[in-house]
Amino acid sequence: MMAMFEHLGLGLSVAATLQNIFFCFLGCLIGTLVGVLPGVGPVATISILLPVTLSLDPTGALIMLAGIYYGAQYGGSTTAILVNIPGEATAVVTAIDGHEMAKKGQAGLALGLAAIGSFIAGTIATIVIAALAMPMTRLGLLFGPAEYFSLMIMGLVLAVVLAHGSLVKALAMIVAGVLLSCVGADMETGRERMTFDIYMLTDGIEFVVLAMGVFGFGEIFKNLADPEKRDVMRGKIGRLLPTLTELRQNLGAILRGTGLGSVLGVLPGNGAILAPFASYALEKRISDRPQDFGTGVPQAVAGPESANNSGAQTSFIPLLTLGIPPNAVMALMVGAMMIQGIVPGPQVIQNSPDLFWGLVASMWIGNLMLVIINLPLIGVWVKLLKVPYRLLFPAIVAFCCIGLFSISNDGAQVIMAGIMGLVGFALYKLHFEPAPLALGFVLGRLLEEKLRQALIISDGSMTTFVTSPLSLGLLLVGAAALVIAVLPSIRKSRDEIFVED
Amino acid sequence: MFSFTRRVMLGVTAASLALSALPAAAQDYPSKPVTIVVSYAAGGGTDAIARVFAARLEEALGGRVIVENRPGAAANMGTDVVAKSQPDGYTLLIGNQGPMVVNPHIFKLRNDPAETLDPIAMIADAQLVVVAGPSLEVNSMQELLEKAKAGELVYGSAGNASASHVATLLLGQMAGVKLKHVPYKGAGPAINDLLGGHVDFMVTTVPSVIVLVQDGTLKALAVTGKERFSELPDVPTVAEAALPDYSASAWYGLLGPTGLPQDVRDKLAAATAETLSDPAFIESLQKDGGVPSHLVGQDFADFMAAERARWGDVVKAADIKVE
Repeated sequence: MMAMFEHLGLGLSVAATLQNIFFCFLGCLIGTLVGVLPGVGPVATISILLPVTLSLDPTGALIMLAGIYYGAQYGGSTTAILVNIPGEATAVVTAIDGHEMAKKGQAGLALGLAAIGSFIAGTIATIVIAALAMPMTRLGLLFGPAEYFSLMIMGLVLAVVLAHGSLVKALAMIVAGVLLSCVGADMETGRERMTFDIYMLTDGIEFVVLAMGVFGFGEIFKNLADPEKRDVMRGKIGRLLPTLTELRQNLGAILRGTGLGSVLGVLPGNGAILAPFASYALEKRISDRPQDFGTGVPQAVAGPESANNSGAQTSFIPLLTLGIPPNAVMALMVGAMMIQGIVPGPQVIQNSPDLFWGLVASMWIGNLMLVIINLPLIGVWVKLLKVPYRLLFPAIVAFCCIGLFSISNDGAQVIMAGIMGLVGFALYKLHFEPAPLALGFVLGRLLEEKLRQALIISDGSMTTFVTSPLSLGLLLVGAAALVIAVLPSIRKSRDEIFVED
Repeated sequence: MFSFTRRVMLGVTAASLALSALPAAAQDYPSKPVTIVVSYAAGGGTDAIARVFAARLEEALGGRVIVENRPGAAANMGTDVVAKSQPDGYTLLIGNQGPMVVNPHIFKLRNDPAETLDPIAMIADAQLVVVAGPSLEVNSMQELLEKAKAGELVYGSAGNASASHVATLLLGQMAGVKLKHVPYKGAGPAINDLLGGHVDFMVTTVPSVIVLVQDGTLKALAVTGKERFSELPDVPTVAEAALPDYSASAWYGLLGPTGLPQDVRDKLAAATAETLSDPAFIESLQKDGGVPSHLVGQDFADFMAAERARWGDVVKAADIKVE
C-alpha cells in the first residue's frame, strides 16, 4: 500500500510539471472538442497527431494522447445528451436518459453529473490501475472465447431492460441488431453474407454509421416532422450544476458504475463497451422507480457515464502490463510508444518508472482537467440548444457527414447513414426503441466471433459453455435476469408504461 | 582544395545535365502532394510502416507525401482506389502480402492487382515469429511439431487469410500435421487468448509479442524468415530448427496504377532507394520488426508473381477459398 502511494507520488511529480500539465490540458481540450463533434473520434485524431508527437518527449506525448482519448469519451457524452447523437457505442446509454433530461430542461444537470461522475470514476480507476494492475490482468486472461460468449449473452439479456416500452418490441430490436452485425464477410471463410453484392457492405456496417443514422439523422427527421414538440422542450435550460443533494442521490450510482467499468474495462476486445449498458441495467434493477427509466432519470446518466470513464481508463491495463492493445485507440498508443522507442509491456514499469507512473498520475490530473474545462463549458453547450433549429440542424448534418466521410475517406458511409436515418425515423413512428438495436449490433459481432472461436476449440461441443465455472456463472446470471424480466408482475408494470407512451 | 571544389562543380554539372535530359513531366514531379493509399485503418502495422516511409520519402522526393487510409472490402478497397486513379504518380499504394498475392486466391476481386497495378519498388520485409503459450510444454520447434503429430494443436491468427494465418498453414502443410485454426480480429485478442491458454500457439509479427518473449511469458520457438532476427538472436529460423525449405514473411512495397510514365517511376524508385538507405528509416523499421528489402520494377513484379503462386498452392491445399 505504501509502495503504491510512493509510486503515485513519483507519478505526480512527473505529471505535475508545467510542461506535462500543459500537454495534459491540450490533450483533454482537443479530446473534448473532437468528442463533441459527432463522428470525429479519438482514433482519427490520434492517428493525425501521431507524427506531431515525434518531436515531443515520450512522457509528454503519451500524456497528451491519453488526454485525447478520455477527453473524447467525455465530449461524446455531451453530444449524446444535447442532440441525442451517440458518437460511440459507449454513449448510446447516456443518450437514453441524458437527452430526455435535456428535453425537460435539465441539460446542465445531466452534463454536470456526467462530468462529476466521470471525475470520481477516473480517480478510483487511477487507484485501481496503480494498485491492482497485475491481478486485473490475470482476470482478463481468464476470459477465453467461451467465457466471453456467456458474458455477451448476459449483456444481451440486459439489453431487454434498456427498453422502457414493450418487451416484444425490445427483443425484436435486439435480434435486428444482431442480424445487422452479421452483414459482411464471414470471419472464417471470407464468404459474403447479406451484402447483396453491394461493395460497401463487404466489411460490414460501421457502428458509427448505424448510430449517426438511426440516432442522429433519425432524431433530425423526427424534430423536423414534429416542430411543436421540439419548440416546447427547447425553451427551457434550467440550472447548470447539480446541488449537493443531487450529488448525494447519485453517488451510489456513480460508485456502482465505476466498479462495473473498472472490471469490464480490462477484458480483451473492448469489454468496456458493455460497462455503461451493465450499469444502466443495474441502476434500473435496484431503483425504486424503474418505470421512470428512459424518461430522464439522473442515475441513468451518472452511473453509465462513470462506468464508461472507468472502463476507458482500466482498458490501459492490458496495454501497460502485457503490451496488448485491447482496442483501436490503444493500438495507436502502442504506435506512439514505438515511435518514441518504448516497447509497451511489463518492463516499462521497471525500465522507465517515471514514464509509467507519470502516465498513470496524468490520468487523474486529466480527469481533474476535464472537470475544469467542462464545468464552465456546460453553460456554453447548453446555450447551443437556444440556437434556432433551422440553423442548428444543418450544422449537425454537416458535422455528421464530415465525421462519416472520415471513417474511410469514402462517401459510401454517408449514404449508408442516410438510409439508416430513414430506418431510425420509421422505428420512431412505430414506437420501437433504437437503444436495444444498437446494443444488439455491438454485442452481436463479438457474440458470433466468440461463439465460433469457442466451438472450434471445443470441436463443436456446446458443453464448453457450462464446464467453465466462470462461463456457467455468467449464463446463470443472464438466465436469472431473463426470468425476472418475463415475470408476469413485471410485465404488467411494463405494459402500463407502454400505455403511457 | 581546388580539386575538391572542381569535383563538386563537375558533380553538380553532371547532375543538372542528367536532370535537364529528363522530360518536363518528371522534372516537375512532384508539383503537388503525392497521396499514398493504405488499405487498412490507421493504427495497424502496414499503416505504421507507410507513415514512417512517407515521412522519409517526402524528403527524398522534395514534395508533400500524404498517407490516406482507405480500409474496406477486406483490404481490397485500396487496390481499387489506386487501380482506378490517374497514372500520373500522384496516387500510389503501399501494397502488402494479403491484398496483393493472397486475396486474389480467396476473394472475387474487382481489380486484379497483378493486372491493374504497376510495382515500383519493394520497401520492407518483416518476418514473423512462432510463439507457444505458457501452458503448452514445448521448448523447440521440433517439440511443437511432435506434439502436433500426437494430437491436434489449436492456433490463433490475426484473421482469415492474414500473414499470420497463411504462414501457419504453410507450417502445417510442410510438417504434415493437422492444426486447428481459430481466427481473431487482429493479433491483440489472439495473443490475449494465447496467454490465457485458450489457444496453444501462434505465428505473429515480432513487435506484437517481442516484450512477452523477452520477459519469458511466451516462448519464441522460431522466426519464419530466411535469417535470424537481430532483436531475437537466440531464436532459430523455422528452416534451421525443423523444416529446411520453410520461409514466410510479411512484405511491403510501393505500387501505382498501370501506365505510370517511366521517368516518374524512375524518380520514385530512386527516392525509395534513398529512403531505404537512411539509417533513421532502417531504425524505425526495425522497431516494427522489419528490414529494408529493395527490389525495383520487374524484380519486384517477379517476386510478387512467385509469392502469388506459392501462397495460391497453400491456400488451395487448405481449402479456404470462397466460391
